[in-house]
Formats: sequence, C-alpha cells, structure tokens
Amino acid sequence: MPDYGNAPRASSTTLIPKILWHWITERGLRVETGDQTLARYQALMSADLDEVETIIPADGSLLIVLHPGASPSNSLQALLVADLSAAIEAPGRMHELLVDYGGAAGRDLAAVAATAGLSMAEAIALHSAATYRVQFMGFQPGFAYLAGTPPGLHQPRLSRPRTQIPAGSLAVGGTYTGIYPAAGPGGWNLIGRVEAKLFDPHREPPALLMPGDEVRFVAL
Amino acid sequence: MTSPPLIEVLRAGLCDLVMDDGRYGYTHLGVPIGGAADALALRWANRLVGNADDAAGLEITLKGPLLAFPQGGAVALSGAPFAASRSSGDAVVWNETLVMAPDEQLDIGAVSSGCRCWLAVQGGIQVPEVMRRRSTFLPAGFGGLDGRALRASDQLALGEASVAPRVLRIEPPSTNETAPLRVVPGPQAAHFTDAGLAAFFNSGYRVDSASDRRGVRLHGAPVAVATQDDIATQAVLPGAIQIPPDGQPIILGWDGPVTGGYPVIAGLVSADLARLAQLKPGDTVRFATMTVESARTLARNRDVEVMDGY
Repeated sequence: MPDYGNAPRASSTTLIPKILWHWITERGLRVETGDQTLARYQALMSADLDEVETIIPADGSLLIVLHPGASPSNSLQALLVADLSAAIEAPGRMHELLVDYGGAAGRDLAAVAATAGLSMAEAIALHSAATYRVQFMGFQPGFAYLAGTPPGLHQPRLSRPRTQIPAGSLAVGGTYTGIYPAAGPGGWNLIGRVEAKLFDPHREPPALLMPGDEVRFVAL
Repeated sequence: MTSPPLIEVLRAGLCDLVMDDGRYGYTHLGVPIGGAADALALRWANRLVGNADDAAGLEITLKGPLLAFPQGGAVALSGAPFAASRSSGDAVVWNETLVMAPDEQLDIGAVSSGCRCWLAVQGGIQVPEVMRRRSTFLPAGFGGLDGRALRASDQLALGEASVAPRVLRIEPPSTNETAPLRVVPGPQAAHFTDAGLAAFFNSGYRVDSASDRRGVRLHGAPVAVATQDDIATQAVLPGAIQIPPDGQPIILGWDGPVTGGYPVIAGLVSADLARLAQLKPGDTVRFATMTVESARTLARNRDVEVMDGY
C-alpha cells in the first residue's frame, strides 16, 4: 500500500479504492468505516490476522494497529472492502443502569432541558426512554460513547471543560451520552449520576460496557 | 530457611515506576498498552539477568532511587546513562550484568544525558498482576506498586532466581540525538494551512515541562489549521502528533488516551519512540518525513543480540 493514504494530498494509487484510509505512524492503519464501524470491527477481530496487534473502534473509523515492522496482508486488505451487508452483528449485552437525574451531580440538566424546550421531568422522560448503543470507548478507561441520544437533547460540549467532576457523572456531549468512570476533568453537560461501577481494573473484563453493548437508563 | 528475595527502597527517585512490556488486549476499552517507554531497552536489561521478556523492572526518570538488595542478585541497567554508584565500590556499567553482593546498595543519581533508564532484576519484580500485567498506569492509579511511583521504605518482592547469574552484555544501537525525529504524515495533514505545515516541518520545538508519559508537549511556532471544524473522534496510538487549538504540538506518549478529537498532523515512526522516551523539558526537536516502508525496516532492525560479558 502506498505511504500516505488515499485521502487529500495523497501521493498515489488506490489499492483499496472503496475506502478512505491513512497511516497514523507506520503501524496504525486508520480506515473510514462509517455506520459499519462495529460490523467491520467484529469481522476483523474474528479473522485474528497475524500482523494485527490490536484494533480500536472510534467515531466512524477503525485504527488497525500492526505489529512493529509488519505490513498489511492481502487478507486484511480484502476484509477492509468485503461486503458486510449480509453480516449479522454479534449482539452485545443489554444493561439497565439506575440514574439519579438532576441535582448537584446533574447540574446542567436544567440548561439541557431549556435548550430542548422541555421541563426537567420531560427531559428525563425523553432521555430514559431511549435505547443506547456503545459505539466505541476512549478518553479514559471504561468511558463508553453511547449513540442513541434523542436529537432534542444533543448539546455542544462546554467551551471550558470542568477540571474536576465526580465518578459516575452521566453527561451529554454532541450527539453522544457518556458516563465518567473516574473522577477527573470533563467537558460534557452533566445530567445525572449512575451508581454502577463502570471500570474496575480488578474485574475481568474491567469495563462494564463494551463496544456493541446496549444501555437503557432507569430514573430513580 | 532464606527469606524471599526483595528490594528495599531507601530513597525514592523522581518517578520510579514498575514497568513490564505493556498491557495488551484492552485498547478497545479505553486502556492504553502503556509499559516501558522503551520496551526494547527493558527487554535487553531482562535478558542480561536471565529473565523472560515480560518480566517487570523499574523505569527511572531524570533522578533515580537508592536501593538495597538484602539477598544480593543480578541486576542490569539500560537506556540513558545516570550518575550511579555501588556500596561495594564496584563500577556501575550500563548494558551489562551486575552481580550485587548480599546487602549491597545501588545508588542511582541524576541523569547525565537523556531522560529515562530501566533496571531489570533477576527474578523480576513480583507486584500483583492487574489486567494480566504489572506495569504501573498512573493516570488511573492501578498496576505496579499500588498504582503509584515508589516511595522511601517501599519493599518490592522478587521472583526466585532459577539460575546462577552469568555476566552478559549488549551493545545497543547508537542513536543520533541531534537528528530530526522521523514522522509519517498524518490523516489530518490536509487540515493545516501551508504556513502551518511549513512551521511544523521547518522549525524547532522546545519540550515543555508539562510533559509526562501521557504526552510530550512542545512549544514553538504555532501550527495553524485551515479550519476550526471539529474532527470526528478517532483512535490514536503512541507517537501520534496532535495539534490542539493553540497550535502547539503534543506527541502522544505510552499512557496517552486511545482516542482523540484533535487533528493528527503526523506520527512518529515507532523506532523513534525510543528517542521520545529520552526527551526532557528544555530539549529542542525538529521533524522530518519518512516513508511507511522505511519506518518498518527501521522497526525490524533495532533489536540486538546478547553477548558474553568478557
């Protein structure tokens, strides 16, 4: 495969013409996967390719990290363009998480509701009626990016992230809902608090939520 | 009956961390691989004391600890040279097996050039495994010794040595510390203005004091973006060079996040992660591009053989 990807400023030919790809260092092959990100992730993981060290799903893309010195095999290149329309995604686990909406832990709930033209009770009802899906994880260990937030509750991130918010904070950022597994800085809009322990390094698996899992929030 | 082998920390260094070759298998859950900043250097030190490649040792940064070895044993140092002495008066030589006598002390002082060194101990450091590995992950406070750097009066249990120590040595590949860091252009190179790209590739950047294992923060000519539009959160890996809104580059380190929302202008070739491990605040770096194929060849050729010591 040529060096610089086939995106703008690309140097050369497209061995993989159907997808957009780039390198992040010589080991990280970043491919655009759109709404097939989880399906492509599962197909690549189950192929268990020799040259692949790890695969990290993200927002509409995958990062396929190769072992040092390794090149992408023909099998990998074929899997990147394989038609997945008939593939059946492995179902994730369904989690029901209890939420204490509003209050000090959900200090932005009033503003989120006001933006949507709703009362706080209506905003809670709307947020807890949806089913969410873990699209990918990152930011901190066990932090899941949950798709499925009702459009009325979409909120831009804070222009100035808070330096310290408590563990378990439930928040809305852009189109995503998330729960902060550990105390620390955070730039999303806080709407409540979840009791469940999202990440515990002494548990296997350590993360409660995994890519592909589904979540419903139950208001306390 | 002999007591189990251990290390006593008589004086802690600036940031002594228990490290192994990294915690694989959890990046999709938001946990970076971490591990020794120069995993190959720790591997060399482990081989010099007869350990398996995944044995845990110490990563020592800028200023080292004073350690006592009540039962003695073989140790080895790799990476950057530090001022160091032994209570026996014997010389402390890097990249060579050192056989410590019972109750001997090893005093590791300040770094003489570079930033980090690695200490392997025969038998390996036996802190409990967390998520299948022993590396310290400071950002979330787990792994290593209680998820933290060493403190005075800590004790580190060691595994039993299976064989008598044999003196070995290695010759690490030489590095040109003044050469530019080599990078592969990144996925968002097109997000930057020509002036921004020119600044990044043609000027020097100073390593900021806010740098740590999560990222090496640089200060210099700001790298201007052509658009302030947010990019979709993407997965990243150590060596990815992000440009935040202030235009000052951040080279992601071993304990950095696995996803990021800032555009990535370039990625450090993996062979030069060993040089990233040796950058300290105040150093100046420059960048030069390299092809993916050349970077892979470099990565394949960095390992060296262990030789007899004499």
